[in-house]
Amino acid sequence: MNLNRTWLYSQFELTRLFATKRGWLAVTAFSLVWFMVLRYPIYNAVPFINSPEFEGFVSQLAGTVGLYSLVSWPEAELAIFWVIALFTFPMFSVFVTADQTVEDRNRGTVRFLTLRSTRFELLLGRFMGQVFILAVLIGLVCIATLIMMGIRDSGLVSSGLTKTLAIWAKLLITCLPFIALMSLLNLLTNSARMSIVFAILFFTIIASVITYVGDVYPMFSFLNFAIPGHHIGDITGWQSDAHFSLLVPIFQTVALLGAGQFILRERDL
Amino acid sequence: MNTVIEVNALAKSFGSKHALSDVNFRIEQGSTVALVGPNGAGKTTLFSIICGYLKPDHGTVNILGHNPRSAPLFSKLSALPQDAQLDPKFSVEKQLSFFAQLQGMDKKAALADTQRVLELVDLSQVAQSKTSELSHGMRKRVCIAQALLGSPEVVLLDEATAGLDPKNAKAIRNLIASLKGQITFILSSHDLSELERLCDTVLYLEQGKLSSHQSDLHQTQPGSFITLQMLNLSDDMHQKIAQLTGVLAVKQTQSDELVIEYTKQPEPLDLSLLSLIHENQWTYKQIVNGRTLENQLFVD
Repeated sequence: MNLNRTWLYSQFELTRLFATKRGWLAVTAFSLVWFMVLRYPIYNAVPFINSPEFEGFVSQLAGTVGLYSLVSWPEAELAIFWVIALFTFPMFSVFVTADQTVEDRNRGTVRFLTLRSTRFELLLGRFMGQVFILAVLIGLVCIATLIMMGIRDSGLVSSGLTKTLAIWAKLLITCLPFIALMSLLNLLTNSARMSIVFAILFFTIIASVITYVGDVYPMFSFLNFAIPGHHIGDITGWQSDAHFSLLVPIFQTVALLGAGQFILRERDL
Repeated sequence: MNTVIEVNALAKSFGSKHALSDVNFRIEQGSTVALVGPNGAGKTTLFSIICGYLKPDHGTVNILGHNPRSAPLFSKLSALPQDAQLDPKFSVEKQLSFFAQLQGMDKKAALADTQRVLELVDLSQVAQSKTSELSHGMRKRVCIAQALLGSPEVVLLDEATAGLDPKNAKAIRNLIASLKGQITFILSSHDLSELERLCDTVLYLEQGKLSSHQSDLHQTQPGSFITLQMLNLSDDMHQKIAQLTGVLAVKQTQSDELVIEYTKQPEPLDLSLLSLIHENQWTYKQIVNGRTLENQLFVD
């Protein structure tokens, strides 16, 4: 594998988002949606969480759903952002990364590319490019949240910076298998739209079946590790012993990309 | 001469249809090869296997000493795949320079080479245009340009001039002719006169089988065939030509065309033929030394 060619593919994906009109429209829409999320749900929830009157109620509620440690954060904006982002970014990444190779394959563009690089370099380069895009988008929202928090209380910025970095990294790692799943589905379907439909079917029907089988026959509960996002419940409450859980999405990503490489190597273009 | 492509016992099926069966041939360095055959004969399948887009069911392909898809071929083998399109969202220059970078050039060299190949196909003025803004013919020429990026040793062009207007088709033919010898070309086309002008070797595929492999297309044996196209061809002309000294047989292959088979005589037949035409005040359209590719392939 040639790293330079892989890197070139990744760079090209970045220009797809940041050097095209369509890409800037998507970034603008994304920014507006997150502006609304920050301005209304998060901004308005912070006084409620910090209020001494509701402290007992909030702590009790958070403890019930395993988020007790988050409520104790003085950086309340980051705590709320973390919970919202953890459940929305994975699904968002499915939509954003729905077209990695499929449209190029339909158009025949990959035929020009595979005369100049290996198929795996194309697959990995496109995947990495989508990861960079997600990294930038998640980073933008993290910075916006940090700024909003700094406006409320500038004294929290330094402690919040470390947490922001940790949130950014955990969110990105969480999104990795979702992006890799779309890399794989791009090879099995004939359009970006069909890839999204298959992803939705996977997360509804197949994931439900796996969960059900795991519940009824505990010996098969290991199959749950095949579902991207399985670890989310383990890390939501920012538990100190959950670092091992972050290995799950990394292993899932490697497995999905491995499957993608096998399929792409064997398939006709 | 070095062999650049060697194909042995190649077979490929799609379901029950045998697209290729037991295809064997060798292509020498610097030759220009015509890949001919009716629709569905397996030409595009053969191109796709050589380019690594398809895996053969059986047999081997060796290109410059490597298997298809091998990394050492990345800047040496290029192609114009049939129906492949560039990304309509990006400019021609961006995409071609990206291809050149994949081939190992730095950004500056890639841009310069992009300009060079666009000039070759007379499209330097559309470098900043998106491919969606170009006509079908222009898109085709851009796709031909991408096949010439860098210094390819083998170029496969599948229906390169199909859909081009006569002027641009001629320009592409001239371009290929000017690069003959430096690059080994394999051309697929239904325009036999085009292939005849450009190629020195013909591979004729029919129902997935290589039914003819002729090298040295233009090296006719002295005193063998003359193809004559006449205005108002008549039986009288046919008979008088047949009576010329040395003529073995005269066959009418088209309404205005005769193929004359002859043996070598002291007086060259072409001179006798021109004298006969002049004496009878006939009008000829064309005299070809040898048989046309069309006649070689389709007329017994």
